[in-house]
Amino acid sequence: MTTSNQAKTKVNYVDTVGFGADVGGRGFHIPYDLSIRPDGRIYVVNRSPAHRVGIRVGICDVNHGWYHEFGSDGTGDGQFTGPTAITHGPDDRVYLADEELNRITVYDPEGEFISKWGEQGSEPGQISGPSGLKFTSNGDLLVVDHLNNRIQRMTPDGEYISHFGSEGSGDGEFNLPWGIDTDSKDNIYIADWRNDRIQRFSPDGAFIDAHGSSGNGDNEFNRPSDVAVDQDGYIYVADWGNQRVQVFDGSWNFVDSLRGAATVSPWAQDYLNANADEAEARARFNSFVEVDAGDPHEISSKVESYFWDPTAIEIDPEGRLIVTDTLRHRLQIYQRANE
Amino acid sequence: MTTTPARTNESLVAHLLRRASFGGTTQELDHFASIDYESAVDELLDARDTTAMPQDIVRRYHVNMSDLRTRPSSAGNWLYHMVNTDAPFVEKMNLFWHRVFATGQTKLIQGKAMTTQLDMFREFGLGKFDELLIQLSKNPAMIMWLDNQDNHKASINENFGREILELFAMGVGNYTEEDIKECSRAFTGWTVKNTDYMALKMRNNTMRPYGYINWQFMFDPEDHDDGEKTFLGETGNFNGEDVIAIICKQPATAAFVARHLYHYFVADELPVPQWPHFPPLNPEAMKVMTDAYFESGYSIKAMLRALFLSDSFKSEEAWNARVKSPIELVVGTLRLAGGYDSPTGDVYGHIAAAGYMGQDIYAPPSVEGWMGGADWISTGSMVQRINFASDIVGDVNRDGIVELIERVRADAEANGSATPESLVRASLKHLGNIKVSEDTANGLADFASKGDSANPSNEHIASLLQLIVATREYQFV
Repeated sequence: MTTSNQAKTKVNYVDTVGFGADVGGRGFHIPYDLSIRPDGRIYVVNRSPAHRVGIRVGICDVNHGWYHEFGSDGTGDGQFTGPTAITHGPDDRVYLADEELNRITVYDPEGEFISKWGEQGSEPGQISGPSGLKFTSNGDLLVVDHLNNRIQRMTPDGEYISHFGSEGSGDGEFNLPWGIDTDSKDNIYIADWRNDRIQRFSPDGAFIDAHGSSGNGDNEFNRPSDVAVDQDGYIYVADWGNQRVQVFDGSWNFVDSLRGAATVSPWAQDYLNANADEAEARARFNSFVEVDAGDPHEISSKVESYFWDPTAIEIDPEGRLIVTDTLRHRLQIYQRANE
Repeated sequence: MTTTPARTNESLVAHLLRRASFGGTTQELDHFASIDYESAVDELLDARDTTAMPQDIVRRYHVNMSDLRTRPSSAGNWLYHMVNTDAPFVEKMNLFWHRVFATGQTKLIQGKAMTTQLDMFREFGLGKFDELLIQLSKNPAMIMWLDNQDNHKASINENFGREILELFAMGVGNYTEEDIKECSRAFTGWTVKNTDYMALKMRNNTMRPYGYINWQFMFDPEDHDDGEKTFLGETGNFNGEDVIAIICKQPATAAFVARHLYHYFVADELPVPQWPHFPPLNPEAMKVMTDAYFESGYSIKAMLRALFLSDSFKSEEAWNARVKSPIELVVGTLRLAGGYDSPTGDVYGHIAAAGYMGQDIYAPPSVEGWMGGADWISTGSMVQRINFASDIVGDVNRDGIVELIERVRADAEANGSATPESLVRASLKHLGNIKVSEDTANGLADFASKGDSANPSNEHIASLLQLIVATREYQFV
């Protein structure tokens, strides 16, 4: 679904991957972040707050392939209780942030525990509610230190290098920052969640510019949770509170807004095939009902195809946009195209 | 010439705040005592929330309070609101309507439908009763709760048609079985969108493939019986709105709503099923409210204003005459103690505690809601009530308790060194101007004297507070 095309660029819906699986197994439950390995495998963090057995990382691909899952609810090695972010390192290891345990856990690509680090606090090197992870091209790990309102630059082993940002709403200041990405020049983009804007910084953390203000119009945000930048510099923002994804070119010109267009995935179809009564009733189901609410969250609760809390976004090696549609337990995939 | 601002008796203010709020903090008691009683009533009734925790914060740190799938998440979300709001009367009314129009997540499965119903109560619960009944009849949670999606033109389902007359608006004895059938016919076609799939997902209790889908009202004209109906003595091609208009002009409706309000805000009445057989406890209060009902065009707020200003409500006989519901006890204690300034996992434990005491909100025991009154008290529930309140007020790490202790100490030392008696008096005052018997007061003073009452430690004052919330008197409202 596209709603405008100012720069003669469109972002088209491609496919839906996933299925609600609240007790583990093939599928997702409250997918909260994702990371894409260079081979295309997608590692999806499942927050699963109500059914703790659903907390895990699942591995899949855009072709509906399902590999396996790892991790579980707990405080032991390799476990987590409040997973918020995941990323792959240049060492092919997987790094997962836990905002409740205030630690980063490191796994091999198969999900075997390697190490963990992190200490709760506000001193340099300490973290409080880590919510975003991103490696720079030179191998430093950027950690969004959510409750400390700063970005910390660490080694992959957790050694402190530097930080930037502080609490506030001015340039270079943050109010509960969440998601992070870098562009091809190593510039850093931060979803400044409660300031309703995206901030852009140079590779060494110097403020470049900010975009957005509070609202629900084009170029306005309601609690943006994540940001992704593709190889051509297009910027995608998970506009969490507005239940949409907004797309901009590298100069912040508005390109498109996505409300969600999910379809039945093969995994979901397998479920319906095995449950004839639901399949039969669903044959008369319209997922795009007209809604009598104004609040985007309320609307999304009633329209199955729309995003409902689009929390994290990433660009895969083919340039596809992958969105964790958190409360619908699936990934929605889109691709930018020039007309 | 100087004028002295009208003040209100502090004990009367405390009574008003126990009933129209969840009790009062010292600041609230002082504020409402500083203005005249009528202004205090109006301020409580007109308040709009400005201090509830923003939903983006709740959803960010309680991810399960975004889709609200489970009852701890939906009930927890409401608890946050009740504890933090500066418009507590609205939440007391929401609890009232949740009790009268009892709807259960246990059947509906998804909490989002429940919170959507709660939002409807917030918007319409103090307005005109006919508009509230229309909204209730269109509310998807109520439709699915009472199976109105199965109420068809060709074969009526009387569940909703019966309950709107029996439990929601009029009470047994004021209509006939034929009226129930005609009422049900008027509500045929009042259903939810994607009816078949939504009903099946609820029945199968499945979040697959893509989570729950919050329901939305739909009127299906093809399934609506537009034929002539005779209802409560009137004849016409009535639809649901017409039926509600007829219901709301009945004296029995005004009396039924008034009795519910009296039962909830003034004194424990008999259980609702006995109402047809026994007259109301206080006919005078009934008349005050029913007059307001008709004079205002069915306004609930007007009924309550009249009630709160009535001698029946202000009478000392009404003070501390009701047993606190578990939610009143939990919310009232938490509002005294603070601690909900930022998201906390404690919210789940506190919701569970209310359940152990006998009140699982969003899970009433039946369509008749909770009976209340003495039913709240049993050996087991008393232990839970005392343990909960005692744990909260004894936690000297809570900011709110530290402030409470400081206020008690300052008040007890206002006229020199504190004494056991001044400590007890100050503690009772700052816990909401609680009145206790002489025996209880003596027992509390005896306890207070066992420590260094002239220089009481935080722990000693906290222990005294714990003893007070364990008294019989703290269980009343």
